[in-house]
Amino acid sequence: MFKKILIANRGEIALRVNRAAHEAGAETVAIFSEADRASLHVARADEAYCVGPGPSARSYLNIPNIISAALISGADAVHPGYGFLAENARFAEICADHGLTFIGPAPSVIQQMGDKATAKAIMQEAKVPTTPGTGILVSPTEALAAARKIGYPVMLKATAGGGGKGMRAVNGPDELEHAFATAQAEAEANFKDGRLYLEKLVEKPRHVEVQVLGDTFGNVVHVGERDCSVQKPSHQKLIEEAPAPHLSDKVRRRLHDVARTAAKAVRYTSAGTLEFLVSGDDVYFMEMNTRIQVEHPVTEMLYGVDLVREQIRIAAGLKLSFSQNELIARGHAIECRINAEDANFAPAAGTLTDVALPGGFGVRVDSQIYAGLQIPPYYDSLMAKIVAHGSTREEALTRMECALRETRIAGVNTTVDACLAIVREPLFRVGGVSIDYLPGLVALAAAGS
Amino acid sequence: MDWDETVARVRRAAAFCVDAGLERFRIEEDELTIEVSRRPAPPAEASIEPVADVPALEAPYLNGAAAQPAQPGQVLKAEFVGIVRFSRPAVAEGAEVEAGRELAYVEALGIRNPVRTTAPGKLSAVYVGDGQAVEYGQPLFALEDAS
Repeated sequence: MFKKILIANRGEIALRVNRAAHEAGAETVAIFSEADRASLHVARADEAYCVGPGPSARSYLNIPNIISAALISGADAVHPGYGFLAENARFAEICADHGLTFIGPAPSVIQQMGDKATAKAIMQEAKVPTTPGTGILVSPTEALAAARKIGYPVMLKATAGGGGKGMRAVNGPDELEHAFATAQAEAEANFKDGRLYLEKLVEKPRHVEVQVLGDTFGNVVHVGERDCSVQKPSHQKLIEEAPAPHLSDKVRRRLHDVARTAAKAVRYTSAGTLEFLVSGDDVYFMEMNTRIQVEHPVTEMLYGVDLVREQIRIAAGLKLSFSQNELIARGHAIECRINAEDANFAPAAGTLTDVALPGGFGVRVDSQIYAGLQIPPYYDSLMAKIVAHGSTREEALTRMECALRETRIAGVNTTVDACLAIVREPLFRVGGVSIDYLPGLVALAAAGS
Repeated sequence: MDWDETVARVRRAAAFCVDAGLERFRIEEDELTIEVSRRPAPPAEASIEPVADVPALEAPYLNGAAAQPAQPGQVLKAEFVGIVRFSRPAVAEGAEVEAGRELAYVEALGIRNPVRTTAPGKLSAVYVGDGQAVEYGQPLFALEDAS
């Protein structure tokens, strides 16, 4: 086991990893920016080093200073958390070059899964269902033939695209020629690259992801799925739950099997997540995240396992603590992300004047905030993750409602009220909403005001 | 009482106060009492334990909110996380040095990153020991403006 682990992150995840490291008997080293000097993750670590000024490019992404802090503190491993350097294959390599164990998968796997085209190709080879699509299309005629084969509706996409530019939904053959011309022109104007390809448009999909764990002995388990369909208009997740409500046993089993097969195919080590779009009985692979995810506590509450501890054990060359058969989901778990954000989900910064976080049976709170803390403007707006577990979904939702009502955070705007409104909303209460759900509610609220 | 010497002692006391993370510092001698205090940290700080090896800095420095207070002279800080090593020949405290003089270097990942004076001055304080681990932004030396 490791003697000393440097945690290359901040906020709640740095505290989360710090706990797991201490439980594993390791000392911890925190890094921080000048804006985070008064942070809890600095206070709770055994040692801490300032690695740069506020902006993350010069601090939490400052690889030389982070590696130097690891070396002078005598750390033998580095946990990257999520975000920042967590999916940076080069950083994982640099750690290894300096004799530091990177707590995560092999750099080559990070690299492969980070490149969307490579990831899709690898998954197709492993017989993982991906969104049906084409290569580069040279003409509207070729697009017509491809669309007929794939089946409408389809989405035309610019290969150089981003931010929705050069994208057109096409519902039938009569719309295709016009859509092709406009998408091409838009892509040409925005990216100086008008090349288009076509993908099946998955209508009203749900975002369902599967947690996997693999060790260096070739053991791979899945730890069930999470439904993360409640997403802000910016596609960022707000509420996650497990198990995914109203999923047929057939689809659930398929997701689990496919995820395990895929993880085995890339010889995955550490914790990872395969993200899928689910529409009816259809399942399409989107991407694989080669890190611990924000919403991992939902799975931990449901299965009663510590995923971060497993990451540390796996990196230390130990076997998984459990087999697939020993992993049993009990009840239902749900997570609400409490962000420093206004009613339109725009990030807010400021000083917290009052903080009272919920607790009690079946409630878990992962948070770095306290009264008097300044929320710096440089980073992700996440302030707290409230997780409620119950024997049924109904019980978990009621428990979450109580927990949100207990929550008091003053000084900045928060997502507490938005989460409370969703948890009480009839459609969400029924369960199984699509990723269009929250953007729809937001549009409705905007139209009504 | 030697006025210059008293001023130098006050300066050293102030530097020690910052270095040791103290809010108030007092020396009493026969005829002389030196008391140094600085602006207390915000209330949030009270619940935070000071972290080993990290000197508490001036209150305005916290959370990067405010600019540095005006300093007579210069404070040279570490730009890198690493081990500070004094350059030879070492400059004695109280000695006058020219602009661009290398007082030390911070060794990080096998690279020597020199710490140089930005203007001529008198070395008034040395906050670190030779061979000590330093973090980004850590004060290393203070210089008074040359008279």
